Amino acid sequence: MYRIRLHGRGGQGIKTASRILGTALFRAGFEVQDAPRYGAERRGAPIFAYVRADDKAICERGVIHRPDLVMVADDTLLDLTSANVLEGLSGSTALLINSNRSALHWCQRLQLPGPVTVLDGGAIGARAGRVPAGAVCVGAAARLLGVVSRQALLTAVAEELAGHGAAAVEASRQAVLQAYDQFSSEAGLVQRLQVAATPTAAAPPGWIELANEALPQAAATITAPATSRQVATGLWRTRRPQIDRQRCSRCGLCLNLCPEGCIDLDEDGFPVIDYRYCKGCLLCAAQCPRKAIRICEERAVQTEKPEGGES
Amino acid sequence: MSETKQSTQSRLAPGTPLCAGCGGLQAVQQLYRILGERTVVVNAAGCMTLLAIYPFTPFAGSWLYTAMACAPAGAQGVRDALDIQLAKGRISAEEDLSTVVLTGDGAAYGMGLSATSAAIDRGLDFLYLCYDNEGYGNTGHQYSPATPRAAHTATSRVAGFAGTKKDLFAIWAAHRPAYVATAIAAEPQDLARKVKRAAALRGPRLLIVLAPCPTGWGFEPALTVKVGQLAVETGIWPLKEYVDGRIVHNKIPRERQPLADYLRLQGRFAHLFEPQRDERRLAELQQAVDDYWREIAGNTRPSP
Repeated sequence: MYRIRLHGRGGQGIKTASRILGTALFRAGFEVQDAPRYGAERRGAPIFAYVRADDKAICERGVIHRPDLVMVADDTLLDLTSANVLEGLSGSTALLINSNRSALHWCQRLQLPGPVTVLDGGAIGARAGRVPAGAVCVGAAARLLGVVSRQALLTAVAEELAGHGAAAVEASRQAVLQAYDQFSSEAGLVQRLQVAATPTAAAPPGWIELANEALPQAAATITAPATSRQVATGLWRTRRPQIDRQRCSRCGLCLNLCPEGCIDLDEDGFPVIDYRYCKGCLLCAAQCPRKAIRICEERAVQTEKPEGGES
Repeated sequence: MSETKQSTQSRLAPGTPLCAGCGGLQAVQQLYRILGERTVVVNAAGCMTLLAIYPFTPFAGSWLYTAMACAPAGAQGVRDALDIQLAKGRISAEEDLSTVVLTGDGAAYGMGLSATSAAIDRGLDFLYLCYDNEGYGNTGHQYSPATPRAAHTATSRVAGFAGTKKDLFAIWAAHRPAYVATAIAAEPQDLARKVKRAAALRGPRLLIVLAPCPTGWGFEPALTVKVGQLAVETGIWPLKEYVDGRIVHNKIPRERQPLADYLRLQGRFAHLFEPQRDERRLAELQQAVDDYWREIAGNTRPSP
């Protein structure tokens, strides 16, 4: 069986990527399962999707813990422990990263036992006309499997994106093909694990009967106020707004409009953004009447300040 | 603005898992700054389910979660419990809390409409905030009774939604409750005034807030306010109030912007512009907006 795990951020078309890959494998004659993980699929938040393909009926279900191929559409996820990109990687797991950094860079940095390949999908997607990262990567992923023909892949793209119009299908087909062709020398890199590899399938369940919990435990109550402050949603951000105090007129509009409530005023009445929570919607920058909020690439800011300041 | 004077207790804390640029969360933020923690927010299933996922909550006050159709019934239970506590002298009038129902359009326009109708019939003292993102946003944006005509959703692909948006304002107003209003977070002063006005009244008070949704509507999160402002300026989202048996329009656009300006920003209407402009359908949608305002002008002409 092929077990493939797809990682990306909400908005990068990861669910669609899993469908394209699933349909392409189906066209190639496999039994297929593809599904995104249901939960907080939020724009910018880490997203997971899973594809299984086998010659016979697939009885395994759920999350893939031991993948044969991991596709990462956004390399900033590798820095997020909550994205769990590296879970269950073994010496036989192929890792495909969408990045403008080299494979050598990632091999050295991640110290992984298995093969690492890199696709500069940003450039391909932009050339084809704003094709989402997930769709671009799927071309490379299909080639790494070595069992998906060009035709099966193109048919899958056309089928899955039909609702988005002919222009979107054409752009995606171009991008997918480019990634597919670029990976011709890596075809068949992914190894199929013959044995059931998820911990749930491998270990027989040791059931223990538990009595029903008392109501306070079963329907738990949160008694402390504002505990969401412990959730660092700032990790979603790929670009950050920065307030230019020289231009800011202290009108407070940004604070009023911020959906997250992560802007406060300091003692002098200047707005201060709490980057632990700012998701990077950049609505404040778009609305600032004095254009006093600049937009910076998060990666660039973090390289400057490796500690990651709060304001 | 006087936000500095606000205590953090009346702010919704950050750290919620709602989408970046959420127009619904923006409205709830603005509402909570006014109502604060002396509230019990009764929340039906929907996007705002994600506000309080155990063990995390952004609320300083109380929050109760119900199934999709029954938030107003839940609010009745909360209100009754508080009233009993008050009557028995277990809590003082100062310790009383106000009951706020929070649902999306799926619950407000559809599944929960019967429970809301009954709560208004009973004269329940509560404030209802519907964040209307015009679809079942939390499950991938399938169409709801609030979806506008021609909008592309997960269940209305290719040509878009074939129905028309239900007029919930009219349905609620027909019950003759204490207060009904439409609002939008992109007009914060109008929204704040309406929340304060509703908070000062008793009985059923209902607010529908249009909630531009970057994820479901297909626009960049930075454009949430721009899309919201255009909804008002094109006249497709009229800002109005029903109070004392009368409907008043708060902001009648002097010169309405072409509806296409609003539609063009959103991926859910892209099929009306690409591969070529669908003039016939755009004209049909513009006509519906024009007809609405022509009727309003006809109704308001007698008053000076």
